[in-house]
Amino acid sequence: MNHIDRRSVLKYSAAAAAAATGLPGLVRAQGSGPLRIGLITPLSGPQEFIGSYVKNGAEIAVEQINKAGGILGRQVALEIRDDKANPAAALAAARELLGSGVNLHIGGISSAVVLALGPVMQQENGVFFTCGAGTEKMNHENYSPNLFRPGDSPDARTRAQAKLMAQKYPDITRWTGLVPDHEYGRTTWSIFVDGLLEFYPSIAKKKPEILDPILMPYGVVDYRNSITQALRQQADGVFNCTYGGDAITMFQQARGFGLMNRYKVICDAANEFLVARGLKQQFPAQWTGMHYYAEANKGNPLSDRFLADYQAKTKDAEPLGWAAEAHASIYALKQAIEKGKSTETAAVIANLKGMTWQTVTGPRTLRAEDNQAIKDVEMVYIEPAATEKGYKVTQYVKVDGKSVIFPPAPGKKLTLRSA
Amino acid sequence: MQAADIVTLLVNSLTWAMATFLVAAGLTLVFGTLHILNFSHGGFFMIGAYLAYSLANAIGGAPSIAMYLFGSLVAGVLVAVLGLVVDRLVLRRLAGVDDAYVLIATYALLLVCEGSTKLLWGLNYHSVQPPASLDGAWLLGNAVLPKLSLFIIGAGVIVFVALEYCLNQTRPGRLVKAIAADPWMARLLGVNVRLVYTATVALGFALAGLAGGLLVSNQTLSPTLASAFVIQAFGVIIIGGMGSIAGAFFGSILLGIIDAFGQWVLPGLPGLPFFLAMTLILLLRPQGLMGRRNH
Repeated sequence: MNHIDRRSVLKYSAAAAAAATGLPGLVRAQGSGPLRIGLITPLSGPQEFIGSYVKNGAEIAVEQINKAGGILGRQVALEIRDDKANPAAALAAARELLGSGVNLHIGGISSAVVLALGPVMQQENGVFFTCGAGTEKMNHENYSPNLFRPGDSPDARTRAQAKLMAQKYPDITRWTGLVPDHEYGRTTWSIFVDGLLEFYPSIAKKKPEILDPILMPYGVVDYRNSITQALRQQADGVFNCTYGGDAITMFQQARGFGLMNRYKVICDAANEFLVARGLKQQFPAQWTGMHYYAEANKGNPLSDRFLADYQAKTKDAEPLGWAAEAHASIYALKQAIEKGKSTETAAVIANLKGMTWQTVTGPRTLRAEDNQAIKDVEMVYIEPAATEKGYKVTQYVKVDGKSVIFPPAPGKKLTLRSA
Repeated sequence: MQAADIVTLLVNSLTWAMATFLVAAGLTLVFGTLHILNFSHGGFFMIGAYLAYSLANAIGGAPSIAMYLFGSLVAGVLVAVLGLVVDRLVLRRLAGVDDAYVLIATYALLLVCEGSTKLLWGLNYHSVQPPASLDGAWLLGNAVLPKLSLFIIGAGVIVFVALEYCLNQTRPGRLVKAIAADPWMARLLGVNVRLVYTATVALGFALAGLAGGLLVSNQTLSPTLASAFVIQAFGVIIIGGMGSIAGAFFGSILLGIIDAFGQWVLPGLPGLPFFLAMTLILLLRPQGLMGRRNH
């Protein structure tokens, strides 16, 4: 049996105290080795599936950059941590990385995680890029100068969808929503309503009728009671914000009731190909928002190369948009560092603000006022198909992001039109 | 509220109840006999669902009802075999140990199930089309009765009746009940208690696999399916009374009805009536509706 004597206790205590007080200064300096970038994203739990796209996208960007000589001549290394889509786990990972001198980070697809990381990044002098969090609060009351979003803002994405509906379906004016009962679901629905109320009168010259949305419980395995509520409504168009596995379960169970056949158009907030891949031939035709659709970006050299590298790395034919967001984040950091010839947080932030950089979806600009990218919003119409894949894209639309995004309002609450 | 609404809500309630009961039946059977609360039960339910998915995928398109049932039975048998392995390697070692160790060991098993599912079937979401004869709905006046819902209700009732009959009317079933009540006395009377334990574990796991197959077209398949179902299965066996098959059956019906009608009355607060009812029942009857106090 090992005995711990008093002398050993004193020795280890002194070492621990030294590590806690004196060493941080030493370990915080990155030195001249590889440039380390933190990747904090879900690699387990319910959002692991999306986190795997973020990880692949980031790794592809790093491999491409390293092959081309790195950043300022330094190779780039990812420090990968699992946030479990849980703010507490994300904070622990971020503090550990910041404490070891990693000041530049990407990842975070859960809104709760990203909102929790904002203040920590600000306090500890770090930078964080979200690769898909949908919260509008990071542009408003929870704005942090250290948080950046290289992808669609929720107002640009969702209002673009409302605008598209007014353009394509001017006669479909009675709308409802299938809305998960959480902050993201309710906010996304409210922004969609705002868009309907702006674009139907201005484009379709009609006033939309907005029915009460159907609130869906989150993360359950039975949606029949909510589906029954939806059956009682007489809506012609439906906006779906349920997500991933929840959406698949909901569509599967709605099929038995014939609910989706009642709607003349279905507009989905953000599922990309997630639901179509899961449902295959059972998939009800619908519009959905995309971070990135490779087919539509053919001819963009960055996209072509990204797609080839992604296919070689994963054997998956079609990346989902979260991979592109991670790729865009790494390239944004690269450009900002090279412009300022510095990896220091203040210099990187100063150079990111207002910066335009090339991505797999074309050029994007980070708005200086609230660190939000201005980019075109991409949407596709997906239909079921009798193929092995089980679905096909039959329409693709890009909406100019500048025409739908709200003006910057950091620090202020979002205000919306209501029916 | 019109009659059609009441009928639709009742069918919804019973669908939820029987889906939950199908998962909970094996869990409560093993607990009632071995007094082991198997936290990994949802994991084996999930594996059953994935096995049925693989079989349906090998056939392609929507399976026939016969193939759907055959796939469910195959899933049940394969998961029962897994149960025998788990019994040999893990459950036997947990006999008589503190509940905390049982919880940790079976939770670790759940993680193994999730990890194995990721390795074998990946992270993608999957789904299975219901058989053509279970697609669509019957109309009863204005009430919409999805055929898949009625199938799930029927499957739950058949499993309940079969279990109750086997446990109460057959010699092996009575042996299981006798051993559950007093294994020491059963051993004195010459009963091979170990064999009955093993058979009970195999049956409990077979029920998990069968439930996975029967419910495969009811919801999405993903490696998180286990956790989603096991929470509500635990809810109904606690409400019904730990170890009671009838308790799980009637407990799930009660909670299903409260949830469906509660959501009708409070559409802005989905889930709230369910948890309020659980709290109230446990306050009034901590041992569950049909449970015994020593559980």
